Amino acid sequence: MAKGKSTKKGGRSAFSGLSVVASAVLLFMVALPTFVTLVVGLLPSLVAFIFDRSPGRTMARCVFGLNFSGVAPYILELWQVPSQTVGGATQQIFQPLALSIMYGAAGLGWLLYLAMPPIVANVLNLSAQRRVGELRKKQRALIKTWGDSLIKEVDRSGN
Amino acid sequence: MAEQAEDQEQEVSSGAAREPVMDAPGGGAPAPEEPDDANPEAGPENVEFSTGSKSIEIGNFRVFLDLRMPEFDMGPCKAYSADNLRRDEGSAFAVVADPALPTRQEHINFLTGMHMAGQIDLLDSEIAYWPPFGRNTMVLFYEKPAGGRVVTGESKKATIDEHEIGTVVIEPLMGVLQSFGEKNLAHRNIRAGNLFYADPLRQKVVLGDCAATPPGYAQPLVYETTARMSADAAGRGSGTIMDDLYALGMTLAELGIGHRPLSKLGDQEIMDLKLAKGSFQAIASQERLPLVLIEPVRGLLCDDPEERWGFAELNAWLDGRRTKPVQANSEKRAARSQNLSGRDYYTVRSLAQGMAKNWVSALAPLRDGTIEIWLRRGLGDNDRAKALADAMRQLQWAGADKRAAEDVLVARAILIMDHQGPVRFKGFSAMVDGLGYMLSYDVQHGRGPQRFADVIVRDIPAYWFGRQEGFSPEIQKLQQVYKNLRYYVQQQSAGYGYERCLYALVRNQHCLSPMIEQEYVVEISQLLPALEKAAESASEDSWPVDRHIAAFIATRLEDDIEGQLMAMQNPSDEVEYSRAIISMLAIVQWRHGPDNLQNLSHWVARLMEPAIKVFHSKARRERVETEIPKLAKRGNLVELYNLINDEQERRKDQSEFVEAVAEYSEAESEVFDLESSGPARLELAEKVGQQAAAFASTMIALLTVSALFLMHIF
Repeated sequence: MAKGKSTKKGGRSAFSGLSVVASAVLLFMVALPTFVTLVVGLLPSLVAFIFDRSPGRTMARCVFGLNFSGVAPYILELWQVPSQTVGGATQQIFQPLALSIMYGAAGLGWLLYLAMPPIVANVLNLSAQRRVGELRKKQRALIKTWGDSLIKEVDRSGN
Repeated sequence: MAEQAEDQEQEVSSGAAREPVMDAPGGGAPAPEEPDDANPEAGPENVEFSTGSKSIEIGNFRVFLDLRMPEFDMGPCKAYSADNLRRDEGSAFAVVADPALPTRQEHINFLTGMHMAGQIDLLDSEIAYWPPFGRNTMVLFYEKPAGGRVVTGESKKATIDEHEIGTVVIEPLMGVLQSFGEKNLAHRNIRAGNLFYADPLRQKVVLGDCAATPPGYAQPLVYETTARMSADAAGRGSGTIMDDLYALGMTLAELGIGHRPLSKLGDQEIMDLKLAKGSFQAIASQERLPLVLIEPVRGLLCDDPEERWGFAELNAWLDGRRTKPVQANSEKRAARSQNLSGRDYYTVRSLAQGMAKNWVSALAPLRDGTIEIWLRRGLGDNDRAKALADAMRQLQWAGADKRAAEDVLVARAILIMDHQGPVRFKGFSAMVDGLGYMLSYDVQHGRGPQRFADVIVRDIPAYWFGRQEGFSPEIQKLQQVYKNLRYYVQQQSAGYGYERCLYALVRNQHCLSPMIEQEYVVEISQLLPALEKAAESASEDSWPVDRHIAAFIATRLEDDIEGQLMAMQNPSDEVEYSRAIISMLAIVQWRHGPDNLQNLSHWVARLMEPAIKVFHSKARRERVETEIPKLAKRGNLVELYNLINDEQERRKDQSEFVEAVAEYSEAESEVFDLESSGPARLELAEKVGQQAAAFASTMIALLTVSALFLMHIF
């Protein structure tokens, strides 16, 4: 059953990989300048996808999301030119500002990936402390009503 | 072995060697070996009390402490002159019961206020403070017979003509016996020394007291049947009308010969003679009986109760008709003797008595089969021999306690030899219907309850019942009474033990709790007033219910208090223990009053602290604590008990407490989980944080693309 599941998962991943390669080949054949812009612009995401082996590849997804946001304006700008050439695309993307925006956005994605877990941990700890405080208050109220016999009974039933 | 036997014998007879201390509670102990019948005026009774007041008012009577009437003494119970304050005619006397001896309740109830020809009139009975004793005791008030005592001891000559004995003595006494018989009672105090002339002309006699002492306790040994004479005086048993008829026979003999038969012989000699020859032959061989009395004396002194004369034969004799002759001695005599501790025995009953007296040395001839062979060959009694063989076979199955099994064998062998006789066990000797009185005597005279407990735990009475032949309603009744005794003795907790047996067996036994013993509490209704008095000087930490009081209540109260007794089994559980005690006392007050018991209520209130713990809620406890002093002031134990036993409130408290405990435990476990889940939470935070970052990144990408697309369109 587990084997079947993993085969299914592996199959879907292989299908997804294959569809990416097919899209890339199609793009290479139909719109080479766009393909060149994407390959150069999404280079940090490609590296992240290659090195991130964690389940769900959250780091790669983080980097990719912001990286793509940085690349998207230049793709749109490229598409607005009536005659798209590889030279025009190359010229456009190898400008220092364009590279800084695309790779900077990828870097922000990586920073977001690093910063989010400690923030969530702090939120969870604060919530737990507040709950412990509430429970202790409730216990003190019970002891006030029932006296020491409550503690004795709890100890006895605990033993 | 012989030395051991001697020691045993000394031990057995040591009780009888105690010197009686007269006019002190228990001063009658031990049994009156020689009542003052022969010389009633003897003794320093006339100057014995030196109380400030010379008379004391008890109920409707005034008793004169300095006017002793020794002719009406009943064993250790002294008689005093008394005046009936409600009636002018006639005079009365008071018999002051020895508080260390139980009185006979059924007889007091039967005789009080009733006139019966042939029996002295019992006018009243009261439990009252008796100054010479410095404590309460039972006082019985009798109408003084007009003619004085029949046997004065002054002359050797008979005071009643032998030809008039029928009308003067036998007729009134037969009337008494018939009346007692109708109530299934036996007088057990019929003797010449207890006969009084009812009238100054001395035409009829009346019998004296029969209620102040245990049955047969005050009887000289010669008046007891061969079956009962070997029992200790206190354990001679309630008996039946057949025992009274035997005593009547001996009374006729004494009146006929002018002195007590066999008075020159000691008790042991009398027993030996009666066992060897039979009662009538024993008397006839030593005394000169008037010719006219030989026939009734022979008939009434027959040792076989089946053959003994009854009312039909006596009436026939009074009418001058001939009656069937009775066998003088039905006891079978062996062709050869059985020796035990240097003495030869020829009959089974005498051998049984010899074995009881020589307990240790009796075992050897039983174990080596000598007695069994003697029964088969010497007496030709195969039934007894077989029963003895069975008893010995059971000895082989005995467990680790071989010694106890050997004692049981000797006790059973004695019962095989003498199945009508008393239960005898290592010095203890009492008829089965006298076990309660014997226990009472032992407990109140320093011997303790151990001998009785041994007899019951070893189940000797059950063997006695098994040896009885034929159906007898009396024995059936006794079996019912003794059914629970073994269970009681084996239970260790309060409300059971020998104390329960004592109050179950002796109806008129006063409560022996040290707190109220002086008050002579016989009825359950007297208990709380006595405790109220005791509460005035009770120590702070003592409980108002001890083993004796618990057993007394369990026996005398009509309600079932087994639940409370069960709760008292564990004194370490203070809550249940105190609740059980308060509950018991509250039931007694509810049933028998009195309504106001302030001292006892305060005593109980002091001890209620553990019972308050029955509530868990602090608020409820505080409410109960404030209520207790108020209710204690009102002296009502029932209200005090209800305060801690409000079942609805208790149930509510309990269910709320259970909920609170569950709530507290849940909170505790949640806190524990929260405090101990730090690393897991970090792990979770990392996972969730990464997922959140990925989600945010994806959303930013989607928003950017959407914004750019929209900008391009518009």
